[in-house]
Amino acid sequence: MNVIEVNKLTKDYGHGRGIFDVTFEVHKGETLGFLGPNGAGKSTTMRHLMGFSKPLSGTANIGGLDCTAKHHEILRNVGYLPGEVALPDGLTGREFISMMKNMRNTKGDDRTDELLKLFELDPNGDVKRMSIGEKRKLAVVTAFMSDPDILLLDEPTSGLDPVMQEVFIDFIRNEKKRGKTILLSSHIFSEVEALCDRIAIIKEGRLISTVAAADVKHGLKNEFTIEFETTDDYDRFIHSGLSPEKGNKSAKKCVISVPDKVTNHFLAALSKCSIRSIDEHSVSLEEFFMHFYKNNKKFGVGGIQNA
Amino acid sequence: MFSLPLFKQSVKSNWVMWASITGVMSVLCAQFSALKMTQPLLFVIFYGMMTTILPAIYVLVTANKLIAGQIDRGSMAYILSTPVKRSTVVFTQGVFLVGSLVAMFGIETLVHLAVNAAKPITLATALGNSDLGIQGDLTASMIVQVNLSALVVCIAIAAVCFMFSGIFNSTKYSIGLSGIFVGVNILANMLAMFGSLGVSGLDKFKYLTICSFYDYKSVLFSHNDWITKMIFPAAIAVAALTIGSAVFKKKDLPL
Repeated sequence: MNVIEVNKLTKDYGHGRGIFDVTFEVHKGETLGFLGPNGAGKSTTMRHLMGFSKPLSGTANIGGLDCTAKHHEILRNVGYLPGEVALPDGLTGREFISMMKNMRNTKGDDRTDELLKLFELDPNGDVKRMSIGEKRKLAVVTAFMSDPDILLLDEPTSGLDPVMQEVFIDFIRNEKKRGKTILLSSHIFSEVEALCDRIAIIKEGRLISTVAAADVKHGLKNEFTIEFETTDDYDRFIHSGLSPEKGNKSAKKCVISVPDKVTNHFLAALSKCSIRSIDEHSVSLEEFFMHFYKNNKKFGVGGIQNA
Repeated sequence: MFSLPLFKQSVKSNWVMWASITGVMSVLCAQFSALKMTQPLLFVIFYGMMTTILPAIYVLVTANKLIAGQIDRGSMAYILSTPVKRSTVVFTQGVFLVGSLVAMFGIETLVHLAVNAAKPITLATALGNSDLGIQGDLTASMIVQVNLSALVVCIAIAAVCFMFSGIFNSTKYSIGLSGIFVGVNILANMLAMFGSLGVSGLDKFKYLTICSFYDYKSVLFSHNDWITKMIFPAAIAVAALTIGSAVFKKKDLPL
């Protein structure tokens, strides 16, 4: 069952900015990572799901209800973490929490106290004097305190320290286990890698592809720089059926990338050679996607073709 | 339709400005009506200028903060991430703005009524002019009526500022246009006042300001003009609040 459905959603802000023909869905209990560089349209899509913007064409639905017309009904069951932390002024943290609690009609303090403890936040004190991290934590607490089934998280860990990022990722992992449907927008690959079942990649307002996270991980490859003892070793390796990306016979060095499926072949070929050194550079998910972005330059809008 | 938690937040973030303007207005009112030296200026200066200038400053700042300011800052995202309709948000903020003005004039009126009960003055003294041939004391009902007339004009000014706040996503446009509106009205009102005090030519400025619908003289001379004149600012207020709310409900928010 699809909880979140975005169908041919288009919003043109002019000058090639906006989102164009974006279609994806998030199933019940699934976490979809929404990945893309700055200005790709992640937040714009979120904005439509929250009912802040009206689509030029296409639709955005949550739980079968139209996000523009029925946002007040949808939001009963949605927790939203905005990408920018801008809290209302003149309130203390606790006052902000109680205001949000009343506006959300949430009863009981147990979960709020639990969240405050988990994220080590002291909500007493003026919101204005809080650091960015504390404000972010406050936003996290108010987004989750009513225990909604659907979570829209727009770059949730920006502004949190590494320890808190870990805490947050663990927390979301736990929420996932409890069956929450999550749309997580991010450009932090580790976060996406750790949490998402599927990944939708958006670039310059267009959805490039939606892939299963497991496939992406499987598609990762490691890159090695190998230095051989002799040119004979070098030749033997070069002709072993693998295809090195770069080779330099006089330096007796080659660079080769090794996808998971040729690992055994690679090891067998290496065992027949005498080797001076091996350097491994693992290709991170990040580089993988950078590569992916660049290969899809043709999708670009406004003729931005510089590679 | 109305959200109490949001209303409370508006009170919390705006009460300081409200309290200081209300305080200044009440103290000035007490001073102008109690001290012999300033009693002749009670209507010319206090009711003629202060009761429009001071509330105008308040509504200029507050109307902007209630909607456009929160969109510009981004904090509106939190309000609208709760199950609340935009119409509820704009209605609640409008109620706060108009309600706070009513409370402001209510307190100032009570202060004046109290001072007037303790130290009644004649209309001739209050107007600072004994040549008008006006008889009798300033009565409590006159005070209430004058303030009512001023309040309706201030609500109209507030509504126009609120309309700009609802239309624009950016504070610079909202406060800029509200500022121009308030500035032109207040300035024209002051120039018109000098006109009415005898500077020829300046009286034409009364056609440039919404404050001309506020007519304390008509009350003091026991005419009923002030009641018919209230219809115009009231209509402006209703129209401006409706336009502002409608635009806010429909527009895309950059949150």
